[in-house]
Amino acid sequence: MTNGRVLEATELKKSFGDIHAVRGVTFHIGVGETYGLLGPNGAGKTTSISMVSGLLQRDGGEVLLDGQSMTTTTLAPKQEIGLVPQDLAIYPDLTARENLRFFGHLYSMPKAELSKRIDEVLEVVGLSDRANDRSSEYSGGMKRRLNIGIGLLHRPKLLVLDEPTVGVDPQSRNAILESVEHLSSEGMAVLYTTHYMEEAERLCDRVGIIDQGEIKAEGTRRELIELIGQRDRIRITATGVNDATLADLRGLGGVDNVSPTDGSLDMLVSDAGAALPEAMRVLAAHGSGVSSVTVEEPDLEAVFLHLTGKALRD
Amino acid sequence: MKKVLAIARVALLRFLRDRSTVFFVFVLPIGIVMLIGAQFGGDFSPRLGVAAGDGPVATDIATRLKAEDSITVIEFETEDELLLAVERGNVSAGVSIPDDLDSALAIGDTGNVGFISRPDGVGPQLQVVVSEAVAGAAEQEMAVRFAVSKGADPIAAATAAAAVAPTIPNLTVETIVEGESLFPASMGQFDIGASSQLVLFMFLTGLTGSAALIQSRHLGMTTRMAGTPTSVRTIMAGEALGRFIIVFLQGIYIMAATTLLFGVGWGNPLGAAGTLVLFAAVGAGAAMLVGAIFRNDQQAGGVAIVAGIGLAAVGGSMLPIELFSDTLLRIARFTPHYWANDAFAQLVRHDASLVDILPQLGALAGFAFVLMAIASWRMRRVIAQAG
Repeated sequence: MTNGRVLEATELKKSFGDIHAVRGVTFHIGVGETYGLLGPNGAGKTTSISMVSGLLQRDGGEVLLDGQSMTTTTLAPKQEIGLVPQDLAIYPDLTARENLRFFGHLYSMPKAELSKRIDEVLEVVGLSDRANDRSSEYSGGMKRRLNIGIGLLHRPKLLVLDEPTVGVDPQSRNAILESVEHLSSEGMAVLYTTHYMEEAERLCDRVGIIDQGEIKAEGTRRELIELIGQRDRIRITATGVNDATLADLRGLGGVDNVSPTDGSLDMLVSDAGAALPEAMRVLAAHGSGVSSVTVEEPDLEAVFLHLTGKALRD
Repeated sequence: MKKVLAIARVALLRFLRDRSTVFFVFVLPIGIVMLIGAQFGGDFSPRLGVAAGDGPVATDIATRLKAEDSITVIEFETEDELLLAVERGNVSAGVSIPDDLDSALAIGDTGNVGFISRPDGVGPQLQVVVSEAVAGAAEQEMAVRFAVSKGADPIAAATAAAAVAPTIPNLTVETIVEGESLFPASMGQFDIGASSQLVLFMFLTGLTGSAALIQSRHLGMTTRMAGTPTSVRTIMAGEALGRFIIVFLQGIYIMAATTLLFGVGWGNPLGAAGTLVLFAAVGAGAAMLVGAIFRNDQQAGGVAIVAGIGLAAVGGSMLPIELFSDTLLRIARFTPHYWANDAFAQLVRHDASLVDILPQLGALAGFAFVLMAIASWRMRRVIAQAG
């Protein structure tokens, strides 16, 4: 371990043909810290963690895991990492216990310890009562939890979770988030990628905002929000919005950013009280029908909007 | 090694839990062996149709034919019925004995016994049997006619001929076989089918097992394994061992089942075991290669069927290699099936020892090595790209 850091990723680069998926990503994670990579789909999150996990050959940069250089061929650092891929990676025709036992063997866990640890992990992910059922019979949320359980099995120093709540029902999602909080409280370092702002805010000690293969900003929630000053976010649900409407809205004084998303407009403004009447006037002038208006305090989504000019869901 | 075994164990476990593959791997091969043995390998007794008219000679011919152990006589009322039966293949050949045969012979005319056969099959052999029976039945009548033509009293000649007939040896047809028999007489009816179907199904099972490898990749399991402290080489070895065990178990099963159920002999045990092990390695190598090349299991399944059946046909699993032309033999040597079939042919039909089939085993080892090497190279690239 170096400087209390479990992971140091420096200047990671990866291209696929002409596409520069990751362009010099740098971050580090300390012991017991939960670090979030927050960005939309295609931002470079999965490519970054594939390089961190030694699954993908990087074009440039360095990954040190517990002080050891991680490459696709080095095995020792992989003992210290627990990878939970975005897509489910479990054998559906094996039971939860069999899936866990299989990976326990791949992590060279002693037999006696493995049996005990499997029971513990099943408890943590809430699958003890279904441990001997084939995972093909599980709900989506249960499969996700087993997917996470496999990553925890060998007590890694760093748990890497790649969008673990995608496609999960709210109840299972909450169970997953509670599990991550529990692990973090026990001192496990966590690298968590997501495009859900609420998850990043709830779980992460520090967040790296990533877009187009670059980390645009990094810090605690407070530090990131301070980047955009005391700005408010106005969300307007409206019909009949076109490019001319957007141009006029962007031209209003005090309006920092306007981003259309799924029938609504996200506006980042310095003073909602002053900007809202002006925005309504512009919309009315363009014949747009407004059905709802919400004014919100600054959050990470607003930070993302400020830094990239687009919403997380774009 | 523990990791290799763990990966292989999971491959085996998943295989055994798939009931459809269990049918194709364990039930179907035995059914096919039984079918082939029943159709082609049993005690063969060709069916000869006989439409015999009235009269002592006609009755005598029919009686002589029925007395032949090597054929089964089926009687017909009319020549038309007999002809139809031959055309339809219900009988291999037919004999039509006209009503006027006796009277024709009595007045010194030539009597015609009709022989009808299909252009294929055992017609020529049956013709020999029929000729022998006709000659035996007619010779007494012909002797009387000869005596009468020389001036003897017809009644006295007939009485004399009847008296000496039992002491005169019948016309016999001797069959002389030149050269060595392709298939020794000691071979059981299931022996040819068992070894050739063993080779066909082991390879097919190997190839279709490639679908499980592709599923592993699609499930993200191969990539996830690569994320553990497990080298790609170990993952490959484990997957290959899993395929090998499945194919090998199928081979052992077919050998044991055909031995117990049909009394099939497999020749020298060491030679048979060596052939089985190396051909299982070939099957595992083929599975790894197909699993590494194709993107989805539907593609792989289609290729598995075509390649499995095609190579089996060219390699002697559908026609004994002893019957191959020189050209076909030269082509067949490019298939692993040929070498396995040839090894089993030497063991089962020619009492070969392990040493005798070393060239065949060497060829199989070469096939296994090359397939595995190409598959490993390809799979490394696939895993690297999947990351």
